[in-house]
Amino acid sequence: MTDPLDALREPVVLITPDPRFAAALRARLERAVIRGDEMSATQTTAGHVGYASVWLPDIERAETFYRAVLGWSFAPGSIEHGRQIEDVRPRMGMAGGVEHSSLFLAHAVPDVRAAVRRIHAAGGQADEPVQQPYGLISDCVDDQGLRFSVYEGAADVPAQSRPGELVYITVEVPDTARFRAFYGAVFGWTFTPGRINDGWGVNEARPMMGVHRAGDRPTILPMYQVTDIQDAVGRVRRAGGTAVDPAQRPYGLESLCSDDQGSRFYLGQF
Amino acid sequence: MSERSGVQPDPGFALLGLYDAALPQVYGYLLSRCGQRALAEDLTADTFLAAVAVVTAWRRSQSMPPELSTAWLIGVARHKLVDHWRRAAREERGLRLVAGEASEPDDPWDDRLDVLMARDVLAVLGPHHRAVLTLRYLDGLPVAQVADCLGRTTHATEALLTRAKAAFRRSYTQRSAGRPSTGREGRR
Repeated sequence: MTDPLDALREPVVLITPDPRFAAALRARLERAVIRGDEMSATQTTAGHVGYASVWLPDIERAETFYRAVLGWSFAPGSIEHGRQIEDVRPRMGMAGGVEHSSLFLAHAVPDVRAAVRRIHAAGGQADEPVQQPYGLISDCVDDQGLRFSVYEGAADVPAQSRPGELVYITVEVPDTARFRAFYGAVFGWTFTPGRINDGWGVNEARPMMGVHRAGDRPTILPMYQVTDIQDAVGRVRRAGGTAVDPAQRPYGLESLCSDDQGSRFYLGQF
Repeated sequence: MSERSGVQPDPGFALLGLYDAALPQVYGYLLSRCGQRALAEDLTADTFLAAVAVVTAWRRSQSMPPELSTAWLIGVARHKLVDHWRRAAREERGLRLVAGEASEPDDPWDDRLDVLMARDVLAVLGPHHRAVLTLRYLDGLPVAQVADCLGRTTHATEALLTRAKAAFRRSYTQRSAGRPSTGREGRR
């Protein structure tokens, strides 16, 4: 008996893809063959934070404060109000001239152009990727107005943080469902409900990350590792900041602090 | 490299050697079946990266290198396409539970298909139906091989095929009668 659907038979036809795509994929394959560590574009998760920048109002005051509290040393940044923080992993920087303090995140992805397409599809904005010394990068804004960037490459996030290093990232957003939908679509992230109301852990993020509902505009708070949280809290207060008394959490001791400009951050002892 | 590399090229580099010839075929296979350029590019990248992973694993295990060919890569691409539809089906599962399945017509159907319209209809079917019809009819695979690709039993695949054909026929008949079709077709 004949089947009318047999008419659908479609032998493989040759279609030449966009030459830029073809060249980029060849380069990825060459890297993968040589190193044997390439990730899949849609199946493996991405979005590890390979660079983070502390955005706050006054860069000079911040240098003094964080040098005293965390022992950071600084190198000049690529912009006048920018600094690089030396010898920390993941790599970090600091930028002044920003009224609403937050932590800016740069996420590593295996393919920037594919990530840009997913960002557009998810309702965000992403600039045409540009080549920088560290790789192809695109500046982006998510669908709740949070700025971030994606770059092609790996993220150097150590399994064990040292004192003064970024160990956890807390994201405050007006709408966690939108955050989860956006970053789930862009990086393939999945989320686990946390211990606070409308709080979620990001299963695949490095450093570890959590998101919860707070405030009316997105803000990202860093948590820095310290060896002795009582000492560290004393340094915060002496340097003109504020710190709540350290509290015992299931994962360690934690204190919510503000620097002398009112920029919030956490300290953690694990 | 081992002394074997004097006899046979490293399979990873052999794969790179195949790239220029295989790329338009893999991309052509995927684009003609998924219909979206960006998705076809992502799935093409996944196909070649998966192929690298496979040949790398072969190399590490010191076993015989795979028979590298475009046909083998098309087979890898087919699995990537099925994976994509499986993910899409998961995302739409809630919707499909609400929508339910209409009963199947059991009279034989022997119209001659308008292939262009048929391809349009295929594009608006649910991911499970689209997957099984693509493998069975566009790729021309026997049911047993379709079942293998989908990770289902032959019996379950036959049942899915019957439901998919019924869904296809409903949409196709509505379209060819010129009536505005209902439900998910409106989403295009």
